[in-house]
Amino acid sequence: MYRYDTIDREMLADRSAEFREQVERRLAGDLAEDQFKPLRLMNGLYLQLHAYMLRVAIPYGALNPTQLRKLAWIGRTYDKGYGHFTTRQNLQFHWIKLADTPDILDHLASVDMHAIQTSGNCIRNITADPYAGATAEEIDDPRVWAEAMRQWSTLHPEFSFLPRKFKIAITAAPKDRTAAKVHDIGLVVRRARDGQLGFEVMVGGGMGRTPYIGSTIREFLPANRLFSYLEAILRVYNRHGRRDNSYKARIKILVAALGAEEFARQVEAEWEKVGASVDLPDTELARIRGAFAPMSFETLPAVSEAHEAAKASDPAYARFVRNNVKPHKKAGYGIVEISLKTVGETPGDATAEQMEAVADLAERYGQDDIRVTHEQNLVLPHVRLDDLPSVHAALRAAGLASANINLASDIIACPGLDYCALANARSISVAQHIAQKFADPDRAERVGELKIKISGCINACGHHHVGHIGILGVDKKGEEFYQLTLGGSGAEDAAVGQALGPALPYDRVADAVDTLVETYLRERHDGERFLDTFRRTGVAPFKEAVYADVH
Amino acid sequence: MKALTANRLTDGEVVFWRQGQWVERFAEADLFAGDDPAGEAAEGRAKTQVLVVVEPYLIDLVESEGLWAPLSYRERIRALGPTNLNHGKQTEGGAAIAALKHAHGASRSTGRVDLIRRK
Repeated sequence: MYRYDTIDREMLADRSAEFREQVERRLAGDLAEDQFKPLRLMNGLYLQLHAYMLRVAIPYGALNPTQLRKLAWIGRTYDKGYGHFTTRQNLQFHWIKLADTPDILDHLASVDMHAIQTSGNCIRNITADPYAGATAEEIDDPRVWAEAMRQWSTLHPEFSFLPRKFKIAITAAPKDRTAAKVHDIGLVVRRARDGQLGFEVMVGGGMGRTPYIGSTIREFLPANRLFSYLEAILRVYNRHGRRDNSYKARIKILVAALGAEEFARQVEAEWEKVGASVDLPDTELARIRGAFAPMSFETLPAVSEAHEAAKASDPAYARFVRNNVKPHKKAGYGIVEISLKTVGETPGDATAEQMEAVADLAERYGQDDIRVTHEQNLVLPHVRLDDLPSVHAALRAAGLASANINLASDIIACPGLDYCALANARSISVAQHIAQKFADPDRAERVGELKIKISGCINACGHHHVGHIGILGVDKKGEEFYQLTLGGSGAEDAAVGQALGPALPYDRVADAVDTLVETYLRERHDGERFLDTFRRTGVAPFKEAVYADVH
Repeated sequence: MKALTANRLTDGEVVFWRQGQWVERFAEADLFAGDDPAGEAAEGRAKTQVLVVVEPYLIDLVESEGLWAPLSYRERIRALGPTNLNHGKQTEGGAAIAALKHAHGASRSTGRVDLIRRK
């Protein structure tokens, strides 16, 4: 993975010292809350319902064991012994004290981490494929580009006060594990017929109160022109974005207002002016690429005897392999997804002990590499199949062996009203009740791929718009109600979900989801996922089933 | 009835007004009759305590098991702790916590309304 250089480390030390001084000035009364708030937000520090919340950046979701152990230590020392992984591949601590924060930032800096640009109207943490460098599907390693974009966007003076926050995702595989089409900019690495590397550039996707699927404004951007083109997009947005209305300030609103074609025309015109001088020199790209040089994989047989024997003798292991282990580009290796969605637990939460267990496994069996997915799970991208039984046993001991990746209980849920100052309704307990319905692993596997996503308010941190079943918490005269949507997808077949009908009260949501799934099982044709069946039948049979049940 | 709440500046802890000071337990909070100007007066004083608390506001209360509890669900969660884990103020237990847990009623939280207005 990429290692910070002296400049990076000095920058973090300066930034941490600066924030320490700002906190001291706030506590001494030299800064008013209105003056201090934007400063703390620039360092990822929010004031939530019960305490301060610190959002730590995990660039493109990549961690090494030292960093994960440090996060565990911070969780144990300054929080209540856990952390919460988010849909931007970041980690949040929910019980932080303001006075402790400068020390925490120092500890983060000691392992090349920080909380910069995890809040505010700037370019946020860049999402990348968590299988990068491990999947045979990819055209190039997207981390190389994500790291280059991280360096370019960090403290970029021109893009530190955008009309609104700005999110970029990059994937290099046909299977999109980044939700690229619902980002402000989605980049898909492409290779032209002549072998040239480039990007499909999508702009104006997003969720929130006005969801849009991004529009492709360039089918093929030569890779060496990426930064001038990004700069042109950001400049057009910075100039014309709706600063007068925060609800209309995201780039998606601008792209929709102008039309994708006109937006693209303005970007191309700006691109002409920007020129190539801001593009990444080949030498710098090569330097960054060197940090992601292929691992030293062993030459192994494609079939592992130990792995096959364990599959044959241990049904729980076989189930784990079926659902959580994905093909690796190298024979004899696998990509292991670690579910943070154990039934009954809080989606995305990991205890300090669990983080340490994963760090140990990455060190011992996983080439020191850990990833966070935007679906709030962890990944060990490079595990020898021979080692998989040992990894599974260790995960089981740590309470991390749930074999439910992409199944109904693998639910995205924002912190919701249990923690978040903005939330209307709870998300976590709704997720827990639904997960309980699919606690029988045979039933969950029979249902197959089903992405349920829950947000506690219209800001859509839980990605409900793109859930196969989306659930949005709303406030009806102070009571928790939930609007259900069906047919959304954040993957390569991206779509915004369609409303099912009137909002349901809190205690009816899990039963309604159960009814939706039973309807799917009744209606599905061979090989159809929930999403496929919904797209074929439309909303009618689902609506009829749920509202017949409710009334 | 009403109570006055805020988050403490140094650690974000949910606190309640009691005779010019701030306490962590809702059960110890001063209660103001809905039409008692003392509530708004306390809120005015609280807003000057900028080195102690952030964003004080009055909340509406409802009777529960012979005691008072916040009317809004959001405020009950603030007074108790999150519902997914038993690691907030609810760990203390007792009749006052039970009354909060069993309270019914609904209203929009003044805190959330203020938050939206400021945005």
